[in-house]
Amino acid sequence: MSILELFNSIQTSALARFIGSLNHLYCAFMELVHITGMLMLLSSLLLTCLNLLGLGLSNVPVQVLKQSTFRLFWWGLALLVLSGLFIFIPAATSYYPNDFFWAKLILIGLGLLTYLTLYRTVTNAVKPSKWLANITGVLVFSLWLGVAFAGRFIGFF
Amino acid sequence: MSLIEISQLLNDSELGTGLRESVYMFPFIEGLHLIGLTLSVGLLFFVDLRLLGVFLPQLPVAQVLRPLRPWLLSGFALTFVTGILLFTAGAAKIILLPVFFYKLGFIGLAGLNALWFELKWGREIDSWGQASVLPVTVRLAGVTSLTLWSLVIIAGRLIPYLGYQ
Repeated sequence: MSILELFNSIQTSALARFIGSLNHLYCAFMELVHITGMLMLLSSLLLTCLNLLGLGLSNVPVQVLKQSTFRLFWWGLALLVLSGLFIFIPAATSYYPNDFFWAKLILIGLGLLTYLTLYRTVTNAVKPSKWLANITGVLVFSLWLGVAFAGRFIGFF
Repeated sequence: MSLIEISQLLNDSELGTGLRESVYMFPFIEGLHLIGLTLSVGLLFFVDLRLLGVFLPQLPVAQVLRPLRPWLLSGFALTFVTGILLFTAGAAKIILLPVFFYKLGFIGLAGLNALWFELKWGREIDSWGQASVLPVTVRLAGVTSLTLWSLVIIAGRLIPYLGYQ
């Protein structure tokens, strides 16, 4: 089964038809959930990435900051994925030719990969090297910023 | 000249037309509006959560507020500038939406709340801000800020939804 066929079967599934039959306010609600999740994810990441660059709440150890924000990151991601799926499912095939959609998926993959490896290592280290902390801060935040921008562009192409 | 006429002028101006018809510029400015929001409201929520004793309660309020202030003020500036550009691009339609005026109203109330907090509590932040559980009125200012800014975002997200459908 090709990816386009997969998208087509997603779009014609019972769930997709159910979502499609809902009131248009449902769509607006899902977009609100999506932006809420995005704010939770990006702002919690911003706080720790600024810290890695010696900016913002730089007087707080990065482990403490990460400990008090990582739940917000994951809850934000959960809201994003859930609302994102519900926006995607009823119109799956229309996303197939959209370059920004694929760019977004790749950036999410890279964002998660660096979060779970580099970011996790650096924020757990008692004394991470300064340049590694700087690179991690810039890289991780840029990737998720890229996700947000790609997402914003999807709707226009 | 009425608000609707001014909006029509903005809408039909070179800037408004150019932005509306540009392929990359309009979504790029929308993206910047979101980044501004992350900096401003996103970081402000952490300050509000500190006022409520949820975020870093062991840290004095001033040590959360002061280092974040330049960032969240820059965020508000970015959101404001990009917001004006986005309005210009769709002014003729947006001015007819009640939700746009709700958004402005909520921003105004949130600004008043921040001003009141600054005048009443801001100057002596070092004397009361050490405790993890803060005075009721301070916590109330935190809840009010969280609520109003959430309402601003909800109303704001509904503008393109109701304006361009």
